[in-house]
Amino acid sequence: MSLNIADFVSSSPLMAVTATALLLILVEASRKGRPGLSFTLSMAGLFAASVFAVVNYSDEQIVFFGMLRQGWYANFLNLVFLSAAMLTVLVSKPYLERQGAHRGEYYILILFATIGMMFMAGANDLIVVFLGIELMSLCLYVLAGFFRTKDTSNESALKYFLLGAFATGFLLYGITLIYGTAGTTNLEAISKNLPTLSSQWMFMVGVGLLLTAFAFKVAAVPFHMWAPDVYEGAPTTVTAFMSTGAKAAAFATFVLLFHQVFQFTGSKVNDLIAYIAAASMVLGNVIAIAQANIKRMLAYSSIAHAGYMLSGIAAGNSEGQTGILFYLVAYTLMNVGAFGIVGLMEKVDDQNLQLDDYTGLSQQRPFLAALMAIFMFSLAGVPPFAGFFGKYYVFLSAVKADMTWLAVVGVMTSLVSAYYYLRIVVLMYFRDGKGDVAAQPAIPALVAVTSSAILLLQFGIFPSFIVNAVQKLF
Amino acid sequence: MTLESVIFSVLAASAVGSALLVVTRRNPVMSALYLIVNFFCLAGLYLTLHAQFIAIIQILVYAGAIMVLFVFVIMLLNLGDERKLSDGVSWKKIVAAGFCAALLMEFVYILIYSEPSPAVMSASMATEIGTVEYIGSQLFTKFLFPFEITSLILTAAIVGAIVLAKRKLD
Amino acid sequence: MTSFAPYIVFLPFIGFLVLGLFGSRIKSEKLIGIIGSGVVGVSFAIAMAIFVQMVGEEPHARKHVVELFTWISAFTGTASSIHVVVAYQVDQLSILMTLIVTGVGFLIHVYSIGYMHGDAGFWRFFAYLNLFIFAMLNLVLADNFLLMFLGWEGVGLCSYLLIGFWYDRKFDVGGYAAGTATTNDAARKAFIVNRIGDFGFILAMLLIFHTFGSLRFDSVFNGAELMSIGNQAAFWITLLLFVGATGKSAQIPLFVWLPDAMAGPTPVSALIHAATMVTAGVYMVARCSILFALAPTTLQVVAIIGALTAIVAASIGLVQNDIKKILAYSTVSQLGYMFLALGVAAFSAGIFHLTTHAFFKALLFLGSGAVIHAMHDEQDIQKMGGLKKYLPTTYKTFLIGAIAIAGIFPFAGFFSKDEILWKAFSSEHGSVVMWAIGVIGAGLTAFYMFRLVILTFEGTFRFGEEVHPHEAPKTMTVPLIILAFLSLVGGFIGVPKSFFGNNMIEHWLAPVFEPASTKLLLIEEGVHATEYVLMALSLGIAAAGIYGAWKVYTKRPDIAESLRNKYTKVYSLLLNKYFVDEVYDKTVVGPTVKLSEKLLWKGFDVAVIDGALNGMASLVSVTALWFRKIQTGIAQTYAVVFVGGIVFVLAWLILK
Repeated sequence: MSLNIADFVSSSPLMAVTATALLLILVEASRKGRPGLSFTLSMAGLFAASVFAVVNYSDEQIVFFGMLRQGWYANFLNLVFLSAAMLTVLVSKPYLERQGAHRGEYYILILFATIGMMFMAGANDLIVVFLGIELMSLCLYVLAGFFRTKDTSNESALKYFLLGAFATGFLLYGITLIYGTAGTTNLEAISKNLPTLSSQWMFMVGVGLLLTAFAFKVAAVPFHMWAPDVYEGAPTTVTAFMSTGAKAAAFATFVLLFHQVFQFTGSKVNDLIAYIAAASMVLGNVIAIAQANIKRMLAYSSIAHAGYMLSGIAAGNSEGQTGILFYLVAYTLMNVGAFGIVGLMEKVDDQNLQLDDYTGLSQQRPFLAALMAIFMFSLAGVPPFAGFFGKYYVFLSAVKADMTWLAVVGVMTSLVSAYYYLRIVVLMYFRDGKGDVAAQPAIPALVAVTSSAILLLQFGIFPSFIVNAVQKLF
Repeated sequence: MTLESVIFSVLAASAVGSALLVVTRRNPVMSALYLIVNFFCLAGLYLTLHAQFIAIIQILVYAGAIMVLFVFVIMLLNLGDERKLSDGVSWKKIVAAGFCAALLMEFVYILIYSEPSPAVMSASMATEIGTVEYIGSQLFTKFLFPFEITSLILTAAIVGAIVLAKRKLD
Repeated sequence: MTSFAPYIVFLPFIGFLVLGLFGSRIKSEKLIGIIGSGVVGVSFAIAMAIFVQMVGEEPHARKHVVELFTWISAFTGTASSIHVVVAYQVDQLSILMTLIVTGVGFLIHVYSIGYMHGDAGFWRFFAYLNLFIFAMLNLVLADNFLLMFLGWEGVGLCSYLLIGFWYDRKFDVGGYAAGTATTNDAARKAFIVNRIGDFGFILAMLLIFHTFGSLRFDSVFNGAELMSIGNQAAFWITLLLFVGATGKSAQIPLFVWLPDAMAGPTPVSALIHAATMVTAGVYMVARCSILFALAPTTLQVVAIIGALTAIVAASIGLVQNDIKKILAYSTVSQLGYMFLALGVAAFSAGIFHLTTHAFFKALLFLGSGAVIHAMHDEQDIQKMGGLKKYLPTTYKTFLIGAIAIAGIFPFAGFFSKDEILWKAFSSEHGSVVMWAIGVIGAGLTAFYMFRLVILTFEGTFRFGEEVHPHEAPKTMTVPLIILAFLSLVGGFIGVPKSFFGNNMIEHWLAPVFEPASTKLLLIEEGVHATEYVLMALSLGIAAAGIYGAWKVYTKRPDIAESLRNKYTKVYSLLLNKYFVDEVYDKTVVGPTVKLSEKLLWKGFDVAVIDGALNGMASLVSVTALWFRKIQTGIAQTYAVVFVGGIVFVLAWLILK
C-alpha cells in the first residue's frame, strides 16, 4: 500500500484548490490588508482547477487507498462547484467592498468550502462524505456570519450552525448504523453487498437517516425550515454560494449514494423521496408567492427547485441522473446570476431587498434588468433557457419511472412558480420606477452575471453539450 | 447475567441519567459537570468494547481539555441560572416530546423486531481493532487521506475562528 | 427550393437581432420600418416560391423535411432514447400557415410603420414583431412537438411583451376594479391564462413521448395510424392538447384573456390576437388530426366547446362599446367556429375558415386602428359616428370586412362559414343542434358587426369639436386595400361542389388529413339538396341580422333603448361578459392567493409547523406576550419539525 503520483494527478483539481487555499493563508498572514491580491489569486487557483478538471475528464479510477473516486462524475461536478465559486468570488468583491467588509479570509473560506464540496462529489467512502460535508458546512457557517456587526447575519450563522449540527448528528448515526451492518464504510463494498444488506432493518434505518440529513442539506420539505431564515440573513453573495454550490454538492452525494450505491429503484425508499420532492415543490412554490423580500422569495424558490431535482432521484433511472446533473448546471448559473443581481442592487443596511425596489429597473439599468429577466424566465422554466431542459429531463425521468403523478405535480407547481418569477419581470419592465433604483455597476460582477446569462442561453439552445458530457462515459 | 452485561447496564444507565441531568439543570456549571460524568461513562463503555484507544482519548480530549475549557468559559462569563423563556408546559414542548417519544419507540421497535445482523467481524479482529498500534497503522495507511482532510477542517476552523472573533477589523 | 425553408424562419430572427441590438441607434424610422417589414416580405417571397414549386409536385410527394442540426440526443441506444432534431417540415398545411403568417404579417408590418409613427418605442416594436414572426414560424413549420412547443412558448412571450407594450397606460382589465388596472395587468393575465394551457401541452408532450417513444410528427402519427379508435392514451393526449389549444386560442373556459389583450397596440391585435397566434390551437389540432381521430370523445368535446364559445362570445359582442373589444369577442367567436369544424372532423373546413378569417379579421382590426388613429386614441363607438365622410378608404374596406365576416355571398366568410355549418349538420360527428347554434351565432355576428359599422361610420358625429378625424397615411391604407381584396375573393379557394367549384383548399389539404379521414371512415359526399336549403337559411339569418342592426341603429334607436330597459338583467349579464372574470376571481384567483398567504405561509409554515402549535396555544388562552415570543424564527421549533420528519421517514420505512 503506497501512494503514487497517479493519485495526485487524477485528483489534481482538488489539489490545485487546496494549494491555493493554503497559499492564501500565507499571503493573508504576511500581507495584511490586501484583499485584492487574495481575490486575484483565488480566481487564478479556481480557474487552474477547472482546467485540470477538464483535462482529467476521463474514466473513473479509485485513488488514495479507495477513499476517492476521480473521473468524469467527480470532475463534472467539480466544474459545477468551481463555476459556482468563481462566479461567487466575482460578484463578492464589489459587494463586500461596498458593504465595508472586504477581507481576504472570505476567499479562503470560499476555497475551503469548495474543497469540501469536491470531496463530497468524489467520495468513495462514507468517511470522506462526512468530512467533506463538515469542511463545507463549517466554512459556510462562518461565511453566513461574515458581517459580524449585523444582527441578521449573526442570527443566520447561529441558526445554520445549530440546525446543521443537529442534522450532522443524524448523518453520523446513519453512517454508524450502515457501518454496523456492512462492516465497512467503503461505498463500493456496500454496493456489492446491497442485496443482503437491504433486507436488514438496521441498514435501512441508516439509509433513512442519511436521507434526512441530505434532505436537510438540500433544503427539502420538511427539513427546509432553516433555509429562508439563513438565506435572508446571510450576506447575499454567500447566499448565492450556499444555494448553488452547497446544494449542488449535497445533490452530488445524493446521486452518488442513491443512484450509484443504494439502487432502490422502484422501492419504498424511492416512493419516500418522491413524497419529499412533491411536498417541496408544492410548499416552496406556493409560499414563495406570498414573499415580499426577494432573498426570502428566492429561498423558497430554491426549496422548490430542490423538489424538482429530487424527482430525478426518486425516479432512480439514468434519465433522472442526467436530468439532475443538467439541472444542477442550469440552477447554479441562474441562481448565482439572480443573487448576483440582488447583490448589485443591495445597499448598505439591507436596503433595496424588497420586490418593490425592482420597480422600473429597466429604465435605469436596462442591461441589468434584461439579465434579471433572463434568470427569472429560466428559473420559471421557460424555453429556450437552460432551466426548461432541466425540468424537462427530470419530469421525463419521473414519467419513465411510472411516477407520472410526480411529473404532474412538478408541471403544475412550476406553473404556479411562473407567477412570482414573472412578477419581478413585470415590476422591472411594466412599472415606472420611483427613481432611486441605484444598482452599482461593477466590472467583475457584471462579467459574472453576463456570462451566466450567456451560458444559460447556450445550454438552453444546445442542451446536447451537457447531456453528452454526462452520458459519454455511462 | 454475566459480569460484562452488568457493567454495561450500570454504565449505560448512568450515561443516560447524566445526559438527562445535563439538559435539565438550570445552573450551567452543573450541566458541564454532568457532561463530564457522561463522558466518563461513555469511555467506560468503549473499554468494554475493547476500544482502549478511543476510551483514553475520550477522557483526555473531551473530559479533560474541552470540558475544562467549557467550565472556564462559563465561569469567566459569570453566567447565572438559565432564565426561563416560558413558563409551564407549552404545546410546542408537548409536540416535541411526542416526536421524540415516537422516534424512541421506532428505534426500540427496530431493535426488538429486526433480525440480528450477521457478525461482520471475527472476535479476534474485534479485540485487535481498538489497540493503539492498529489505529495508528490504519490512520497512516488506509485512512491517511481522511486523516489529512481533518487537518484541512481544522485549518478552516482556525480561519473561521479568526474571522468571527478577531477583535479589530481592518 | 424547399431546402430554403429554414431561411423563411431565420430571416425574421435576423431582423429581430439587428433591430434589438442596434435599433436604439438607428434614428430613421423609415430604415427601421424597411428592415422590419423587409425581412418578413422576403420570407413571404420564399414561402411563395416553395408553394409554387409544391403545386407542381404530385400531391403525395409534397411533404419535405429539412433537417438542420441535432438538438438533443440522449440515451441513444436505450429504450428511452430521445433524439430531437431541429428540422422544419414543409407540407400542404404548414406552407399554407406560413403564407398566412408571412403574408398577413408583412402587410401588418407595413401598416405599423404608419401606425407607430412617432412612438418612442418604434424600434422595440418592430424587434418584438420580428421575434413574434420567428416564433410563430417555428410553431407552424416544426417537425416535432418539442420545437413546436418552443414556438408555442415563444409566441406567448412575444404576445406578453406586446400587450404590455404601452405599459403605463390605464386599461380596464376584466377582474380588476374599473380604473385600477394597466396594460401590464392585461399582459400578465394573458400570460398566466396561457400558462394553464401550456401546462396541458407539456403533459400531452410527456404522454406522447411515453406512448410513442418519440416526439417527431412522423413517428408519432405513423404510430397512431396503427392504433384503433377509442385508444385510452390517445384520449388523454388529445384532451390535454386541447387544453393547450383552449388557452392559446381563447376558448371556453380560458377565453378571458383575449379581450383584455386588446391593451396592446392595434397592429398587435391584428397580427397576434386575430390572424396568427390565436389560431395556433386550431393549427395544432389539425396537425394532430390523426390523434384526434383516435379519440371520438375528445372530438365531441372540441365540437361542443367550439360551438358554445362561438355563441357565448357572439352574444357578449352584442353590447360592448369598445371597438377593439367587439372585434376581440368576434375573434373568440370565430375561433369557436373553427373548433366546431375540427370537432366534427371537418379539418380542412377549419383551416379554410382560419385562412379567410385571417384576411377579414386582420382587415377589421387594421381598419379599427385607422379609426382609433383618426380619433386620437378614442375607442368608444358611442363617441364616434359619421366617420365615413372623413375616412372614405377605411370605411369602404371596413365595410367589406364586415360583410365578409357576416357571411354574405360571395365574400370570403360566406364560403368558409357555410362549409363549417354544412359539415356540422351533415357529418356523423355533428348534429342539428350544433348547426342551429352555428346559425344563430352567424345571425348575432352579422348584427353586432353592423351595429359596429353603423355606430362608427354612419349617422351623426358624437364627438367634440376638438377632434378632427383624418384619413390614415398610405402605408396604412394600402394594406387595408389589399386585405379588403383578399376578403372579397379569398373564399374562392374553397368554392364547394354545390356551387360548381372544386373546393381547391380541401383537395390541397386532403393528403395531410387523409390518415384521419381514413380512420374515421369519412366519405366524400356529393351535392345535396339540403345543402342549398340550409345555405339559404343561414344567408337569410345573416341578412336579417344586418337588417336588424340597420333598423335599430339608424332608424329606431329607441328600440335598443327600450330593449335595454326591458331586459336589464340580460343586458348587464352580457355587458359584464357573463361575470366570468368575477367568477374566476372569486373561485380561483382569490383563494389561491389567500391559500398561499393565509394557509400555507402563515398557516403551514408558521402554523403546522410552529404555530398550529401556536394557534392551539392561543386557544388555551395564553397571554399576548407569550404569543409574541413564540413567533417563527425560533431554531428549536425548526428542530422539532426536523425530528417530525425523521419520525415520518422511519415510520414509512418500518411500516411499508
